[in-house]
Amino acid sequence: MTTPEEKTKAEQLAERAELAPREPLEMPYLRAIPQPTPWPILAAFGVTFIFAGLVTNWVVSVVGAAFALVGIIGWFREVFPHENVEAIPVADCEAVLPPPVFEPRPAKSPRNVVPEEIHPYRSGLKGAVAGAVAMAVVAAGWGLIDEGSLWMPINLLAGTVLPSVGEATLEQLRLFNGVWFATAVAVHVCLSLAVGMVFVVSLPMMPRRPLLAGGLIAPIIWTGIAWATLRVVNPTLEQYISWPWFLGSQIAFGLACAMVIARSTKVRLHIGRSFEDRMGFEQTEGDES
Amino acid sequence: MQWAISVDHKKLAMMYIGAGLIFFLVGGIEAAFMRLQLAQAGNEVVDPATFNQLFTMHGTTMVFLVGMPILLGFGNYLIPLMVGARDMAFPRLNAFGFWLFIFGGLLLYFSYVGADGLYGAGTAPDVGWFAYAPLTSRTFSRGNSTDYWILGILVSGFGSMTTAINFIATILCMRCPGMKLMRMPMIAWMMLVVAFLVLVAIPILTAAQAMLLFDRTLGAHFFDPETQGSAILWQHLFWFFGHPEVYILILPAFGFVSEIMPTFSRKVLFGYPLMVAATVGIGFISLGVWAHHMFVVGLGPVLDSFFGATTFLISVPTGIKIFNWLGTMWGGRIQFTTPMLFVTGFVAMFVIGGLTGIMLATVPMTWQLSDSYFVVGHFHYVLFGGTVFGIFGALFYWFPKATGRLLDERLGKWTFWLLFIGFTLTFMPMHVSGALGMPRRVYTYEADRGFEIWNLISSIGVPVQMAGVALFLWNVVRTLRKGEVAGDDPWDAWTLEWGTSSPPPEWNFDRIPTCTSARPLWDRKHPEDPDAHYE
Amino acid sequence: MTALNANPSTGPLKAPLSRAKVGMACLIFMESAFFSAFLVTYLYYIGKSPDGPQPLECLELNLVLINSVCLLSSSVTVVLAVRSLARGAMGAFRLWLAVTILLGLEFLLGTGYEWWGLIEDKGLTIQSNAFGTNFYSLVGFHAFHVFVGLVLLIGVFILSLFGCINPKRDHQRVDVATWYWHFVDVVWILVFTLVYIVGRVPQGAAA
Ligand code: HEM
Ligand SMILES: [Cu+2]
Repeated sequence: MTTPEEKTKAEQLAERAELAPREPLEMPYLRAIPQPTPWPILAAFGVTFIFAGLVTNWVVSVVGAAFALVGIIGWFREVFPHENVEAIPVADCEAVLPPPVFEPRPAKSPRNVVPEEIHPYRSGLKGAVAGAVAMAVVAAGWGLIDEGSLWMPINLLAGTVLPSVGEATLEQLRLFNGVWFATAVAVHVCLSLAVGMVFVVSLPMMPRRPLLAGGLIAPIIWTGIAWATLRVVNPTLEQYISWPWFLGSQIAFGLACAMVIARSTKVRLHIGRSFEDRMGFEQTEGDES
Repeated sequence: MQWAISVDHKKLAMMYIGAGLIFFLVGGIEAAFMRLQLAQAGNEVVDPATFNQLFTMHGTTMVFLVGMPILLGFGNYLIPLMVGARDMAFPRLNAFGFWLFIFGGLLLYFSYVGADGLYGAGTAPDVGWFAYAPLTSRTFSRGNSTDYWILGILVSGFGSMTTAINFIATILCMRCPGMKLMRMPMIAWMMLVVAFLVLVAIPILTAAQAMLLFDRTLGAHFFDPETQGSAILWQHLFWFFGHPEVYILILPAFGFVSEIMPTFSRKVLFGYPLMVAATVGIGFISLGVWAHHMFVVGLGPVLDSFFGATTFLISVPTGIKIFNWLGTMWGGRIQFTTPMLFVTGFVAMFVIGGLTGIMLATVPMTWQLSDSYFVVGHFHYVLFGGTVFGIFGALFYWFPKATGRLLDERLGKWTFWLLFIGFTLTFMPMHVSGALGMPRRVYTYEADRGFEIWNLISSIGVPVQMAGVALFLWNVVRTLRKGEVAGDDPWDAWTLEWGTSSPPPEWNFDRIPTCTSARPLWDRKHPEDPDAHYE
Repeated sequence: MTALNANPSTGPLKAPLSRAKVGMACLIFMESAFFSAFLVTYLYYIGKSPDGPQPLECLELNLVLINSVCLLSSSVTVVLAVRSLARGAMGAFRLWLAVTILLGLEFLLGTGYEWWGLIEDKGLTIQSNAFGTNFYSLVGFHAFHVFVGLVLLIGVFILSLFGCINPKRDHQRVDVATWYWHFVDVVWILVFTLVYIVGRVPQGAAA
């Protein structure tokens, strides 16, 4: 393309002409605008008075109805059989206002800055699996070492959704319970996947150190929130929880998940790339570890 | 006179916004009196009956006579300019709708002198902005004040509905060549969804108000429990309107942010298609969450869980928007002009309001917090920190287009910081007093409950905000007299309204523009690298 | 990227929607929301009105069936009228329009007669009980909309008598105006089903 400076005035005009005219089919007022008219305000006034009459005096309503009627008839005649418009002679307005000219600016502003490279979403799923396992190990460790029961953390996790867990005795919490187990597994899987996806989306946005952000800062913040709110939201559950271990399990998840994601090969973002491509599913073989 | 008979969408829009700002001052004064009364325990600035009128009129005014008209006014101004049309689809209907809003508002305020009824003196409505039954029955609400509330809102509601029809017809039928739906400025999308919500929600309110009117004037039995009526039914109808209404009040502000943020980040809006999808999603989901305002009624666990879940669901598209705005700013060359300050303030404040909203959508939590000052804190964070900040941002951004003169930046920044600090002072402590158990809508409280300090801080914020608003008004007056001339395109922006003169001629464009991408002006300014190549 | 200039299409929009049609569709949408509030309320109160006159004893089908047939067939005649107008057959247009208006008038008068009977003989008023409240509100609002539609049609009829309707120029407009009439019809089907079929259960049964 030629740079703007090289264009002659005539070329520029020709270009503008190409961009501009051509009235579309149904543009209602070609170069005409509707005439001012008093009927709408009269009709609105009448309608309001009709209602105002209900709280004042029926005469007000009658007056309002009369106004409204006159307004509506006048309004109708304004649009029927032809809309009452004021034509603006083209020559005139061209004289009054020069058509907009946009000095082409050789600005170098970035059109769209997004993370240029992202982790493929698939790695988020992998990270979720890794994190889920790591977390389960730590939690099981807590159960076995501190509480003497592998089932304790599992049952407590089920307690986040099942109210009945809250009423159970400590003995019951230490025993295996099929329903609770299934619930806990479901909760664990869903939450892990969700957090994995959040990680994969947000890690490229984090300044430089993904392991620090995902593996340490996020778990600490999250533990803090849980610590602060759980005693209000679910006090029964809270009394069983050991917060250091809780933090440990969160960090285990965060580190494992962030590590897996960070090690995946990044994909370049390109405007116009297909959806599958962006999802990371259309890679050539061997592209990804 | 010229203005009274005008059907020009720009003139009508300016009247909408001007009238809305006047009502804003009125509603603000009402609020100031409430805060004065509550500044200390046991104050006696106003008596209890007056206090009830104050909060009723404040809420009603701010929602129906400030929020709606200003936002619809911006829609009126911007839609034709942004989609490249010469006027709205139905210019006369547009004028009709505007005047209905004005007369409806005047009818409501006429109650201060006119609602004599049994007491023999003028009284304003005092049943709260949601006018719960059976407080509105003739037994408990003597005189005509409640009737004025019904009729004033009814009439201005008609105005909103006609305007919504106009918006939809304009957006669907009047776009300039090349302006495909997915190239429309974000505001047009927002206004389209808003208009849809108006068409669904306002008729429900109209119907409910008609029923209430029948109850009160003809002796019908819709809402009076003593005569087989159902008070809960009113709540259902009102909130079926009420929740979409709050989205009517926030979506246009989302639109402002989505236009202003890219301009001052010097980047395109991040994730335009996702933004459109989220907007439409919000539009639909917001029709199915209304009973989260009724958790304390005792609807039963099934309904409570359902409405809790849908309410959580709505925060997903809302969150998408937040991230899109952050994505827009990310890596941009950010210019903190006054409009940009307001919209970044918007995002921050709105996030806080959204989070307290999620807290309130948690049923057991709402059992504790409902009808406390916590709720007042929540909705002021979304309505003031959200909608009003958005409106101020838009005022500063489009003022040069409408008048040809730039508002003063230095005064503008003062306005922002005063409003921001005053706002935080006033509304942040409400979360605390609410959590401590202070109920809303009480005219005073006892001294030893631990509420005093928080209320005092809340009240101190008021003069700060008033100073901010006063500065803004002074800025407007000064700018109109001797402000810096803006030129057609002071912000180097990319939507069509900046492609015509400031202020635009009555016919908007000398030639109907054409549109080659979502940023038509960018394409014209940068023929070497137009957006059209990327879409 | 390939295909740089793939779609800078600047041509006119393909088939621009008519703003009259969109406007009318919006109006109808809005009115539907309005009626759905009353319909749902009616449904809610079915069987919850133990005292006073009951639907089963008050509502009789004979008259209302005649009314319904009139209103529903008026939808057909109005279509015939519009078709005639599109053909330019002004005589047939006026005839069918007149028939439509008469059918609509029958409906309104029939409803009035029914109400008169209900008030005088059955003692059912808007104050009687929840049933009366809902019945008069719902049916009344529908009748009001029929009235508005009739005014619209009568207006068109009068214009056509004075020769102000030009087939070429106006047949679109008249067509759009009759959408409203069809809408009123559809609402009646819902109202009828709810009030005269579903709602005629013994009141208090569900309470
Ligand atoms: C994430 C989004 C949001 C959620 C989850 C949410 C949730 C809630 C809930 C549960 C309540 C009821 C509190 C109660 O009375 O106990 C409430 C009240 C309220 N919300 Fe929101 N909200 C959200 C966004 C908004 C927005 C955007 C607005 C307006 C712009 C808004 C305005 C209001 C208002 C005005 C009330 C109080 C109504 C009244 O009782 O007078 N909310 N919100
Ligand atoms: Cu809500």
